Amino acid sequence: MKHFDEFSLPLEQVSPMEKHIRKVLRTWADNDCIPFRRQYDEDWKDHKIIEPAFQKLMVDLGFQKAMFPQELGGWGIGHSDYVFRIAYALSEEVGRADTAIAVAFLVTIWPLTTILVEPHVNWRLAREFAPWYVNAKHPVFSALTMTEPQGGADIENMGLLGGKTLRTTARLDGDEWVVNGHKLWPTNSAGVSKLFGVPCTTKPGSHDKNDFAIIFIPTDLPGVSEGNPYEKAGMAADKNSDIWFDNVRVPAWYRAHGPGLDAQTFAEIIPWGQVASIGFMTGAMLNLYERLYEFVSTRTYRNRLLKENDAVAGVIGRIAGDIDICRILGYEAACIGDRRNKAYGKPIHDEEVIGKIRNIKDFVSDKTVENFGRAMDVLGAYGADREWDIEKHWRDVKIIQLWMGGKQLCQMEAARYFFNCTSI
Amino acid sequence: MNKYLDDLFLYPKAWVDDDALGFAATARAWAEKEILANRLEYQQGYDTLFIEKRKKLILDIGFERLVLPEEHGGYGWNKPSSAPGILTVFTEIGRGDEAIAFMAALKYAVFAIMTMKPNIDTALLGELAPLYFADALKNVALILPGPGLDGENTALFAGRSVPVALKASQDGYTLSGKGLRPLGPGFNADLFGVVCGDKDGHACLAFVPADAKGVKKGAPLKMTGLNACRNTDITFDKVKIPKGYLINREGVITELYAWLNLLLGGTSIGGAMNFFEILTNWAENRTIKGKDIMKENPLCASVLATVAEEIAHARLMAYSMAHIMAQPEAWGGVGGTGVFTFAQMLGSRIQQACLNALNKGMELMGSAGYAKEWHVEKHWRDIKTIQSWLCGVGADVPVKMDIARYFYDCKEV
Repeated sequence: MKHFDEFSLPLEQVSPMEKHIRKVLRTWADNDCIPFRRQYDEDWKDHKIIEPAFQKLMVDLGFQKAMFPQELGGWGIGHSDYVFRIAYALSEEVGRADTAIAVAFLVTIWPLTTILVEPHVNWRLAREFAPWYVNAKHPVFSALTMTEPQGGADIENMGLLGGKTLRTTARLDGDEWVVNGHKLWPTNSAGVSKLFGVPCTTKPGSHDKNDFAIIFIPTDLPGVSEGNPYEKAGMAADKNSDIWFDNVRVPAWYRAHGPGLDAQTFAEIIPWGQVASIGFMTGAMLNLYERLYEFVSTRTYRNRLLKENDAVAGVIGRIAGDIDICRILGYEAACIGDRRNKAYGKPIHDEEVIGKIRNIKDFVSDKTVENFGRAMDVLGAYGADREWDIEKHWRDVKIIQLWMGGKQLCQMEAARYFFNCTSI
Repeated sequence: MNKYLDDLFLYPKAWVDDDALGFAATARAWAEKEILANRLEYQQGYDTLFIEKRKKLILDIGFERLVLPEEHGGYGWNKPSSAPGILTVFTEIGRGDEAIAFMAALKYAVFAIMTMKPNIDTALLGELAPLYFADALKNVALILPGPGLDGENTALFAGRSVPVALKASQDGYTLSGKGLRPLGPGFNADLFGVVCGDKDGHACLAFVPADAKGVKKGAPLKMTGLNACRNTDITFDKVKIPKGYLINREGVITELYAWLNLLLGGTSIGGAMNFFEILTNWAENRTIKGKDIMKENPLCASVLATVAEEIAHARLMAYSMAHIMAQPEAWGGVGGTGVFTFAQMLGSRIQQACLNALNKGMELMGSAGYAKEWHVEKHWRDIKTIQSWLCGVGADVPVKMDIARYFYDCKEV
C-alpha cells in the first residue's frame, strides 16, 4: 500500500464532491492544524493557538455555512442525498488532524441538522439563524445540550425512557417559551457558542414523546449562564462546562418543529452523532497508521526493522486490518444515514436503525481505543511521547468512546434489539 | 465501601514482615494526609506541590533509604527476602501518586544492584550513597535497551538494542551514544544508570553522574503521564567514568529488570487500587435508567467485577513475583534466567491488568472518567505511561520472546 488513502473506500457510493472536500481539508490539516497540535493541550483554556485553525476551517474555507440552504447563502449540503457521507468524510479528515477540532466543528452543525436537513427543514428558523453563520467573519459555534446532572446521558435513551428523566423544562407563556434547567458537558459550552439546541420537556416526568421539545436558545439571552471549562485528559480544542437556564424566554417559534416531530428529529440526530464519532475515530486511525508506519520503518528490534520482524508484523498487521474494517463499517453507517427514509426497511429515527448505527460506533470505539493502546506499546519508550502524536489521539479517542451514553447504553440497545429483551 | 483495601484485596500477608507492615502504614498515612486529603489542591498545583510531597516522603520519612545497608545509613532491607515488604510499601506510595513511586522505583532498582546481598559493592556504594542519598532530592534515570535505528548495528540485550557503546581506557571507561531515550526523569537526573555494550557485545551497567563531562541533555519532552517526571533525550559524547562505576557481573541487567518489574508493578497496583476506591464511590451514588443505583444494575456490576478482578489478579501476581525474588537461589539468583523470565511475564501482565481495570471502570464513569476533577484520568495516563515504557519497543513482542526462549529453548528469536 502506497498511501493511507488506499484503506477501503466504497468509491461507487461516495459523493462526487467528496474528493474535492477531502483535498481542501487535507491541505488545511497539513498546513493549519497538524504543525501546531502538539501545543494544543496547554492552550485548553485560552484557545489562542487553537483558534486560527478554526478560523481557517470554518470561516476562510467556509465550512460553517455548509449545511445551510443555497438560497440563504449556504452550500446546501443539508439537501444532498450524500449528506451523511459528506459529514463522515469531514469528520474523518478533520479528525485525522485533531478529533477535538472535529467535534467542535461538527457539533456546530449538529443541532442545526434538526431544522436544515431534508425532509424536516424549518425555513423560518433557517432564515433566522443563517445570517449568523453565513455572514460571520469569525467562527460561530453552536451546541446540543443533552446531558443533565442526575442521569448522565440517560436522555439519549429515548427508546426506553421517552424523555421522562429530563429535568430541563419549557413552559409556554403566551407566545414565548420559558426554559429552566441545568445541563452538563455539551461540546462548545463555556462561552464558546452563539446558539444552543436544548432538549427539554414540556411536562416533567412524562414519557410521552409529544412532551419532548428541542428549543433553540441564543446564548446571549438573559438567564443563560455558563461555567468555566472543565479540564480534561485530552480534547483541548473542545470546551465543556455547566450551563444553567433561569427563566430564559425565547419566541414560541424557536421550537424546532413541535409535538412528536421534535422527538423524531432528536432520534434522527443521534445517528448523526454516532456517524461523526466513527469518522473522528477512523480519521485518527489514519493518522495512527501514518505515524506508526514511520516508526516501524525506521526503528529496529534484533537490528532488523520492526516491520520485518514476524511477531511485530503480527501486531501492526492486525492494527492496519482493524483500521480497514472500521472504515468499511463507518461508510456503511453513513450510507444507512443517507438512506434515511428506508434504511433496512425502517426510517432513520427507528430504534432498530439507531441501534444498528450505535452498534457500529461501539465496535469501532473499542477497536480504536485498543489499537491506539497497542500502537503506543509498539513505540514503547516513545509511546507516551507527544512528538509521536499517537498518545494524543489515545487520550482523545477514549473520550469519544465514553460520550453519548457510553458503552453500556450501546450494549443494552444491542441486547434489546437482537434478543427481544423486554425488561432491561 | 466499608472495608479497607487490604481486607478486600487478599494477599499473602505472612510473606510481609512486621517492619514492612509498619513502614507501609507510614506510607499510607503519608498518602492519605499529603495527597488524597488534598487531592484537588494537589492536582491543580501538581508541578509545585509534587516536590514538596516528595520531600516529605523521602527526606523526612526517609523512604529511599530502605535500599541501603545499615552501615551506609539505611534500614537494612538490602536482602532479596525483603521483596514482598518492598512491594507492599510501593503499592501504598503508588496509591497516592504514581510519579513519586515511579521515580523512587528507578532509584531503588539501580541501587539494588550494588546493595542487595550477596552482591554488595561496598566501594561503589561508599562513593555513591553520600552523593545521592544526601539531604536534598536526587533523581536517577535509566537508559535501558530498546529500539535501534535502521542502519545501526548495536549490541543486543535479549533482542533489544543497546545503543550506548562502552570502551575501556587506561583509567576507566568511555561511554558514547546519541539521542538516547531515558526511562524516568532524564531532564532532572543527577545520576544515570546506563545499560551499555562492551566490545564483545556483552551488556553491563554503568553509573554516570549527570554532571560528567560529555553528558548532553535536550529540551524537556511532553509526555502522556508522570508529568512531574521530566524527561529528555540524552547524548553521551565520550563520557569518562572511573573503573569502579561499572558492574559487569553475569545477570546484572536481568536483575535490574526483575526489580523494575516488581516495583513498577506495585506502583501501578497502588494507582489502580485508588481508582477502585473512586469508582466504588461513583457506583454507589449514581443512578441509571432514571432509578437504579449503578452498582445494583447487573451489567454495571459485571464491569465493576472485572475492575476488581483485574486488580486482585495483579496484586496476587505481584506477590508471587516478590516471593520468587525473595528466595531466588533455586532459580539462579535474582539475576537468573528463570527469575528474569517470570518477572518479565508477570510484570507485563500486572501492567496490562491495571490498565484494563482503569479502561473498563472509566467506561462506567462517562465524562467523569476523563475530567481531571475526578482524579481518575491521571491514574490512567500514569499507568499507561509506565506500561508502554516497560514494553521498551515492539509492544509485548520482546517479552514474548523472553518467555519463548526460556520455555522452548528458542535460539534465534
